[in-house]
Amino acid sequence: MRQSPLARLFIYASVILTCAVLLFPIYWLVVTALSQPDQLRQLPPKFWPDEPRWSVFGKILEERPILLWLGNSALAALGAVTISMVVSVLAGYSLSRFRVRGGQSLGLFILTAKMLPATLLVIPLFGIFRMTGLIGSLWSIILAHATLIIPFTTWMLKGYFDTIPRELEQAAMVDGCSPWGALVRVILPVSAPGLAATALYGFVLSWSDYAYARTFLTNAQGNWTANLGITTMKGEYISNWADISAAAILVALPILAIYLFLERYLVGGLTAGSEK
Amino acid sequence: MAEIVIDRVRKSYGPLTVLKDFSLEVADGEFVVLVGPSGCGKSTMLKILAGLEEATSGTIRIGSREVTDLAPGDRDIAMVFQNYALYPHLTVAANMGFGLKMRGTPAETIAKRVQEAARILDVEHLLERRPRQLSGGQRQRVALGRAIVREPQAFLMDEPLSNLDAKLRVHMRAEIGALHQRLGVTTIYVTHDQIEAMTMANRIVIMRDGEIQQIADPETMFERPANLFVAGFIGSPGMNLLTAEARGGHAQLFGSAVPVPVGADGPVTIGLRPEHIAAGPGAMSFEARPVLVESLGSEKYVYFEAPEANRPPRTIARSDEDRRGERLIARLMNAGPVTVGQPVTLSFDPAKLHVFDPATGAAIR
Repeated sequence: MRQSPLARLFIYASVILTCAVLLFPIYWLVVTALSQPDQLRQLPPKFWPDEPRWSVFGKILEERPILLWLGNSALAALGAVTISMVVSVLAGYSLSRFRVRGGQSLGLFILTAKMLPATLLVIPLFGIFRMTGLIGSLWSIILAHATLIIPFTTWMLKGYFDTIPRELEQAAMVDGCSPWGALVRVILPVSAPGLAATALYGFVLSWSDYAYARTFLTNAQGNWTANLGITTMKGEYISNWADISAAAILVALPILAIYLFLERYLVGGLTAGSEK
Repeated sequence: MAEIVIDRVRKSYGPLTVLKDFSLEVADGEFVVLVGPSGCGKSTMLKILAGLEEATSGTIRIGSREVTDLAPGDRDIAMVFQNYALYPHLTVAANMGFGLKMRGTPAETIAKRVQEAARILDVEHLLERRPRQLSGGQRQRVALGRAIVREPQAFLMDEPLSNLDAKLRVHMRAEIGALHQRLGVTTIYVTHDQIEAMTMANRIVIMRDGEIQQIADPETMFERPANLFVAGFIGSPGMNLLTAEARGGHAQLFGSAVPVPVGADGPVTIGLRPEHIAAGPGAMSFEARPVLVESLGSEKYVYFEAPEANRPPRTIARSDEDRRGERLIARLMNAGPVTVGQPVTLSFDPAKLHVFDPATGAAIR
């Protein structure tokens, strides 16, 4: 059906408006980072600084241990995602394939964990980590983030496994695989787009956490994550928003890179062609 | 290649029994087709045979080994699935060689056997493609290739043609038949399509509600159905069913006395296949008034009402498909012009009649 010009105009206008709303904060972050600190509050505001301060990135990399913070964030996110993926692949596959008594209730129970606000778990987790001596260690946020990620990724992967025909693993078993072998050799490779999407979700969730890092890592400066580190750049009386914005851009870059790298998996329809 | 012996296999899900003491012996190299309507248990039986489902009781032997408790991969069988179940992340060659790789076969041997299977199935030019780049027919061939490359003791095929269009189905039917002739591997084939069963099988097993109705070669199945269900299931169009009162070895049909087996006494259901009715006078003639004529060129389907005395009561009918009794069909070959509403003389050979007990549905001979 051909769309009328008016309908097309409406669609384009909606897309442009949505993009503008979504991209404006990022654009403004860049403008803030590149502006001279004294130009930030001038009225009318400048939509692009007269002399962009590109040196700001080098300056904050020199002044602050941004790379250490980024490394800690990456370690925490990778650790949390690794644990979460192992657990949720097995849990999601079991929920998708095996009919056991109470299986459905168990699945819903896992999902209710996701419905609790993360802050609700801060105090009990703090108690547990203090008892186990993990306060101040990166392991505290790795495990804490995993508790947030696992419920959602388990359901996301269960949904993905549901779309994969059972005959695929049956064929693999007839071909000589054990049930475990069928999962590893056939189901997981076929699930690559689903695995990539869920891993990315977990990574972003962990990367963007502040509350847990603030609670468990405040006294361990060497283990600060990027988000926690950036907040320490805010002074009690004066805050250099240009520097903070530049640091925020550096922290956002890895996520952007990962998105670009995983994009082909995220949109890939790898299961196409396995059946009729 | 091996014989397969299935002995009193039963499958229950709680109180629901989907397979009731299924027993079958398949000879080495035989092509056996399990056929029946949806939910009759034929696919369940195949999965139990493959080891993908566990039998509640009973035993299965393939060749000299009892395989009842063996894992699917240890049974030395290959299976072709309805949706082909090709591994989407592997090339055609890797798909076909997967089973051999799992068994630790050296790479050169795998390559050689994949090449040979690809040559037999004419898919050599597709070996480096992925399943999503293939047409339905090509995928079907690759699925067959994956099965034959393993050189297993038996092939299990679960409705492998039902996703193909009508023309390709006929073509692949012939190819599978030819492949069986060539390789001689024991094959158990599941379908709901009676034409596939009739054209491909050495022997047919007709199933209904988890029970075997009859095991016979296609000709016997057609000529001597064991019961009303088999009579109705095999043949297209289906068998005409009429009721009559049998007494002293005769029953009244179309106003004339026809011989029936001496064992039949009282009400009987008489079956007459549409192709056993001929145009013009014959051994037993009657006059019919066509209510519908379908011409297919060389043959005509002539529909006419059954005489009042031979109409089955509605309670006999089990489904729309079984409610053939009220309107009869004659399949006339090379008949002259037949006009709706104009009386026409038809005839049949009483020897071709089938007599059934209306209460049990069993054939009376």
